[in-house]
Amino acid sequence: MERLSEHEKRRAAERADEASPASAPKVAMRCEARGVHKAFGGTQVLRGVDLSVPDGGFAVLVGSSGCGKSTLLRSIAGLETVDAGSIHLAGRDVTRLAPRDRDIAMVFQSYALYPHLSVRDNLAFGLKLRGVARGEIEARVREVSQMLGLEALLDRLPKQLSGGQRQRVAMGRAIARRPTMFLFDEPLSNLDAALRAEVRVDIRRLHDRLHATTVYVTHDQVEAMTLADTLWVMNKGLVEQSGPPLEVYERPRTRFVATFLGSPAMNLLDAKLVRKGAGAWLAEGADLAVPLDAERFGSSLTEGREVTVGVRPHDLCVAQQGTTELGEIVVEVVEALGFESYVHGWARQAGPSIVMRLDTAAGSVRVGERVKLAAAPDKVHLFDRATGAALTS
Amino acid sequence: MRPRLWVLVLVALACALGLANTACEDITARTIVVWHAYRGDEERAIEELASRFEKAHPGTLVELLAVPFEAYPAKLEAAAPHGHGPDVFIDTHGRLGAYRREHVVAPTPPDVADPAQYDTIALDAVSEGGRLFAVPLSTKCVALYYDVDLLPEPPATLEDLVAAKLPEGTLPLAYEANSAYFHAALLSAFGGRLLDDHGAFAFDSDAGVRSLELVHELTAKHAIPAEPSGALVTQLFASKQAAAVIGGPWLRSDLGDKVRYRVAPLPKIARSGELMRPLLTVEGAMLTPHGATRPLAVDFVQFLGSKEAAIVLATVGHQVVARRDAWTDPALAGDPVLGAFHDAVRSSVPMSSSTRMQAAWVPANEAIEKALRGEDPRAALAEARRRFDDATKPPPPPSSPTPALVVLGLVLLAASIQIARRTRLADVKASLPAYRYTAHAVLVVLVLVVVPLLAGAATSLFAGSRDDMRYVGFANYVAILTARGGALLGHGSFYLTLLVTVLWTLLNVTLHVAIGVALGVLLSRPLLKLRAAYRALLVLPWAVPSYVTALAWKGMFHRQFGAVNALLGLVGVHPISWFSRFSTALTANVTTNVWLGFPFMMVVTIGALTSIPKEVLEAAEVDGATRWQRFWRVTLPLLRPALLPAVVLGGIWTFNMFNVVFLVSGGEPDGETDILVSEAYRWAFTRDAQYGYAAAYAVLIFGLLWLITRATRKWQGAGT
Repeated sequence: MERLSEHEKRRAAERADEASPASAPKVAMRCEARGVHKAFGGTQVLRGVDLSVPDGGFAVLVGSSGCGKSTLLRSIAGLETVDAGSIHLAGRDVTRLAPRDRDIAMVFQSYALYPHLSVRDNLAFGLKLRGVARGEIEARVREVSQMLGLEALLDRLPKQLSGGQRQRVAMGRAIARRPTMFLFDEPLSNLDAALRAEVRVDIRRLHDRLHATTVYVTHDQVEAMTLADTLWVMNKGLVEQSGPPLEVYERPRTRFVATFLGSPAMNLLDAKLVRKGAGAWLAEGADLAVPLDAERFGSSLTEGREVTVGVRPHDLCVAQQGTTELGEIVVEVVEALGFESYVHGWARQAGPSIVMRLDTAAGSVRVGERVKLAAAPDKVHLFDRATGAALTS
Repeated sequence: MRPRLWVLVLVALACALGLANTACEDITARTIVVWHAYRGDEERAIEELASRFEKAHPGTLVELLAVPFEAYPAKLEAAAPHGHGPDVFIDTHGRLGAYRREHVVAPTPPDVADPAQYDTIALDAVSEGGRLFAVPLSTKCVALYYDVDLLPEPPATLEDLVAAKLPEGTLPLAYEANSAYFHAALLSAFGGRLLDDHGAFAFDSDAGVRSLELVHELTAKHAIPAEPSGALVTQLFASKQAAAVIGGPWLRSDLGDKVRYRVAPLPKIARSGELMRPLLTVEGAMLTPHGATRPLAVDFVQFLGSKEAAIVLATVGHQVVARRDAWTDPALAGDPVLGAFHDAVRSSVPMSSSTRMQAAWVPANEAIEKALRGEDPRAALAEARRRFDDATKPPPPPSSPTPALVVLGLVLLAASIQIARRTRLADVKASLPAYRYTAHAVLVVLVLVVVPLLAGAATSLFAGSRDDMRYVGFANYVAILTARGGALLGHGSFYLTLLVTVLWTLLNVTLHVAIGVALGVLLSRPLLKLRAAYRALLVLPWAVPSYVTALAWKGMFHRQFGAVNALLGLVGVHPISWFSRFSTALTANVTTNVWLGFPFMMVVTIGALTSIPKEVLEAAEVDGATRWQRFWRVTLPLLRPALLPAVVLGGIWTFNMFNVVFLVSGGEPDGETDILVSEAYRWAFTRDAQYGYAAAYAVLIFGLLWLITRATRKWQGAGT
């Protein structure tokens, strides 16, 4: 109930704000990282990363733990020094500048609110430091607290706030500064699932309103997919692929990117390429034969080539009359989620587990049943077995 | 174990104890307990005598116990009147007055000592009212040691000594000029005394003034060292930086073979035409009332006073024995130093054994210190008389304890009624097991903390010295709070001392916190290499006992030979006499205490810093804070909750920091740097045991600190 009323409050505030020019967008700036290298002790964490975010863009750095995304973010902020490479903000080389001179605001994973200051003082801290006039400070604090629904909390201390409220104060603190760039370091990971979903939307809404350049780090692919203008998938200190989220999702360039995005993960199958006739190719493995679109892969198709086939669970379906069958699986586990189910089975007893998404409306399967699988050829991905790179024409 | 086994064990234990008891009783009957304050050669002498006695009386055991000199009276007075403690003890005649009063010493039985065999002057010292209270063993007074390489002949007068031709930088004479004990010799040359025959202060005479003028002259002429101490004068003579030193027989072992010296009785003072007569202390063997009833103990005392024993004391212990016929022995006749001291005794003056003598030392010392600093001697002596009279003021008349007892009774009654009303039997029964767990701890705390506290508070309602305590209600408190009828901010007044204490505490705590926090922050920055080494170095002041540190710093602040003045001299600063002005003496004390105290704050800070999340400081950095702003606006406020209890504790400890004040400045100049707790000490231990008065001081200090702590709590509570 409480959330709902806050929600409404915010809507009202936004409507009011839209009328006033107080939150007019500031001139945003490009952010670029070129060839950044960083090592901690003996471990090389960043191996030459390039990043480019346009004015007002929302870039999301995503990857598993230890891939270097937080380090890259902190390097952009200036909290870490880079061993090689450079950082440019609004065309300026800021590699040697202290964080306080880069005009950025950061929201930390643990919010890092000042425990001894009230919410109001937390919001005003950065402004006071920069000698902003008292009237201006009050105006901005009011504006930000209205924006984020914090009016009732202004005199409380951080320890008297809930997790979600603290998160909003952390964002408010960043927003009040009106910086030219926002940096978010996994800000939602300490919230519960429902709150996470709600705040995610709020962040996107705020970004659209403020038009500020944002770099956002997360390990959660749902956040990555929903928030990003550009997605940057990182693995072991390098950017494996970047681009709009849907593109990265539908056309992964490496096996890692393919399996990282999408839940449940893409099914991977070790297979060999087999030519079945003129322009008809199959990838055979684990008692399955996957038909391939020869045009799509072009000259990468060679007889006997060892590949990994990838098909997302959502792209598998029960074979109907007239569709090309891939093979048969024996159902082992059925995860019923209400509107859909995930069916786990194996084609070969000792082979890999295949996961298929099944729409509840389309029927149900039972454990032990034999199900025939089919997939649209354009949804099949091929990766080189050794390098993991996607096969293209 | 099974019950039967338990019984067996207990029976066996009982038998063993019984046997041991009977054995003990047997031994006790044949044991004499002897206390003494000897060390070194003198201790070896007494041990030799004890073993000779044991051989002469087979089956007997002479149990010797060496007791530190300062603790002697207290221990004796605690044990002897109740029949415990020694049978025989060896002590100075100066304490006889107090011992008689406390019934610690019994008259020596007749026929134990033949008066004809001892030096008259020694006998007189240990007799009172015609009765002998000790067998005189040795006589101690100071004489002149002179370096034969620098002074081939002993000087005839003090002026001759001062005018002697000596190498550059050598002092003619070194002696503890600031001690009344040594000054008494000069005083006597002018015909003066410290106390007169009735126990009244006699130093403030014309003789006293002239003697002080002389000493001031000597210091100003650099004929004697400034700020002397026993260790300093010994070291100066031993290193040939002084041609002569005034000292007693005890100096011999300290000098050893370092210098070729001879001893002569103190010379005359040409100005007055009279000899310098040193004070004489006589050591004698005394019997406790309990010991006087035991023939074995009496025999031992007689043996100690024999010629044979005197020879041992003189040859092994290097004592100047009081036994006349011992001096004919070739061993003694062949020791020129001993012989010289024996000569010196002839012109000495026995120290008064009046109990008021105890109260004379401090005022006399203070007057001498003032004169050495160049202040008017007459005024200094008048002030000394005033302080002596004040210290020996008779206690207020006893008042009836009835009203207090009635009030106490009512309070206890009210408290019991309250407790009875509040407790419910069921609750008590339910908590019984818990009481079993806590009972012993509560008991220990009660006995070790609460009871002494209450006893101390009760003592404050009594006045008078040890044997003469009478209940006076709140008279002590009234006396303290009215500054004993003197000026509210006069010397020794409670309020002045309170102001000094508050100033002392504020200065120290401020510096402790500032330096401790600064270093704590510095040491926790990861960039500083060798962090562990730095930490160890800085904790060192904390680990060395404060007593040792205080004495080391005191030495460093010595005007002439101290390291601080030497270092300041390198940058061209004139040597400062640290302990002659309040400001500099306070600086010396504060420096020492800050050295001792900052590690505590530093360690607290380092601990508290680890609880500040790194990300909060990073957030501040991103928000635009410089390093200083991060420290001032984020780190410091977050340190406050941890620092506040540390500051309160540190404040309380500093408020009561007896060690540093007593050992470094010793209250100098003239008691001005004394804090409440050292002032209380003086009342208890240097002004004739005014325990009740000192206890009242202690209760007042406790009350003050309690109020301050409560005020701080309120302030802390308001801040969060």
